Amino acid sequence: MSTLTDRYVHAATRYLSAKRRDDIARELKGSIDDMIASRVDAGEDHQSVERDVLTQMGHPDVLAGQYAERPMHLIGPRFFPTYLRVTATILAIVPALVGVIAALAKVADDASTGSAIGTGIGAAWTVVIQVVFWSTLAFALIDRFGGEDDVPKWSLDRLPEVSTGREVKLVDTVASVSFIGVVVGVLVLQHFRSWVDGPDGEDVPVLNPDLWSFWLPALIAVLLASAAVEVWKYRVGRYSWPVVGGVVLTSVLWLIPFIWLAAEDKLLSREFVDTVGLSSTNLARVNGALIVIAIAIELMTVADAAWKARKSQRAVSA
Amino acid sequence: MDDVLPGHLQELRRGTVVIASLAALRNPGYGYALLQTLGDAGISVDANTLYPLLRRLEEQGLLSADWDTTASRPRKIYRTSDDGRQVLAAMLADLDDLRASLNRLDEETR
Repeated sequence: MSTLTDRYVHAATRYLSAKRRDDIARELKGSIDDMIASRVDAGEDHQSVERDVLTQMGHPDVLAGQYAERPMHLIGPRFFPTYLRVTATILAIVPALVGVIAALAKVADDASTGSAIGTGIGAAWTVVIQVVFWSTLAFALIDRFGGEDDVPKWSLDRLPEVSTGREVKLVDTVASVSFIGVVVGVLVLQHFRSWVDGPDGEDVPVLNPDLWSFWLPALIAVLLASAAVEVWKYRVGRYSWPVVGGVVLTSVLWLIPFIWLAAEDKLLSREFVDTVGLSSTNLARVNGALIVIAIAIELMTVADAAWKARKSQRAVSA
Repeated sequence: MDDVLPGHLQELRRGTVVIASLAALRNPGYGYALLQTLGDAGISVDANTLYPLLRRLEEQGLLSADWDTTASRPRKIYRTSDDGRQVLAAMLADLDDLRASLNRLDEETR
């Protein structure tokens, strides 16, 4: 039976190149025997000394790494910042995009909206795993086999701007409020002046006229509230957490009724559906697509606000 | 302070093991003997650091090595090469300069 020392030396040297392995193994075994012998000569028990000495030598893989001088990390400090930036940039865009596309494709396939959203989330998550795996693998390979030239050149011009207090610009606020005004205008005008003409040339409202009793005024009220949040955000001057709370609140208040109305097929007017000639399958597709797009837009709005609030908080505390 | 000091001391001593090994091995010796010599001289270093370091210095040509098969256990005997002596002198001179600079800085700012 091989001794503990033999097993340790084998474990520490087995992955070294054949040329160096035997020489290093022979010396390492001799050195360990020397260490054991000096203590045995002093009167200690051989077996316990051997265990003690080998334990002190540490994990054989660590020792092997020192002999081989190979990196004991996956991605070293040279490439780590680039790795983080590239991975984060891809993760910020691609999974959401793929998720929305997958969900819309599922809707076109006549699946229920719930299962379409599930498919979208699943697809986005798969993309996250794939992106992290491949970018980690790529950078691990570059770290091992790349040269100095592979390190991206750094330049002063790429330093980010330091926030000077006002992060919310007037032009953005005006644009947001104007957009909300346009949406409200469209919601009202579609009832009187539609782009769809009925058989007798009269205007056919796109949205269900029954909604005017409660839901459309409610949705318009939420839109006006989100316009108020935009103005409040401008007065605060930056994305504070209360502002983010306001964004989340108006998003949720708008999204939930909208999803419910689309899911129950109460959103589009019967006349409109008939005039355009939507079959019931296509109508379900349109409603499903509206839900998926609405969820995607509101998720992006909330994520954008939260991201900017975090950035703003860092700038303030810096 | 007690939790950060060991890390800083380790950083400070890292390079000095090379100097100590190159100096000690002007008298040829094998791994375990060097470990003891350094320990006796007050330069503590772990076996699992020293043995790979000797290999590295040999491959850089700063140490030369021969197998001594006359003893009961075959041992690899290292000795500081001419290149090693030059590197040793340069490192010692650099250490002196550093120490002088640090002394000056310490005096001026005391």
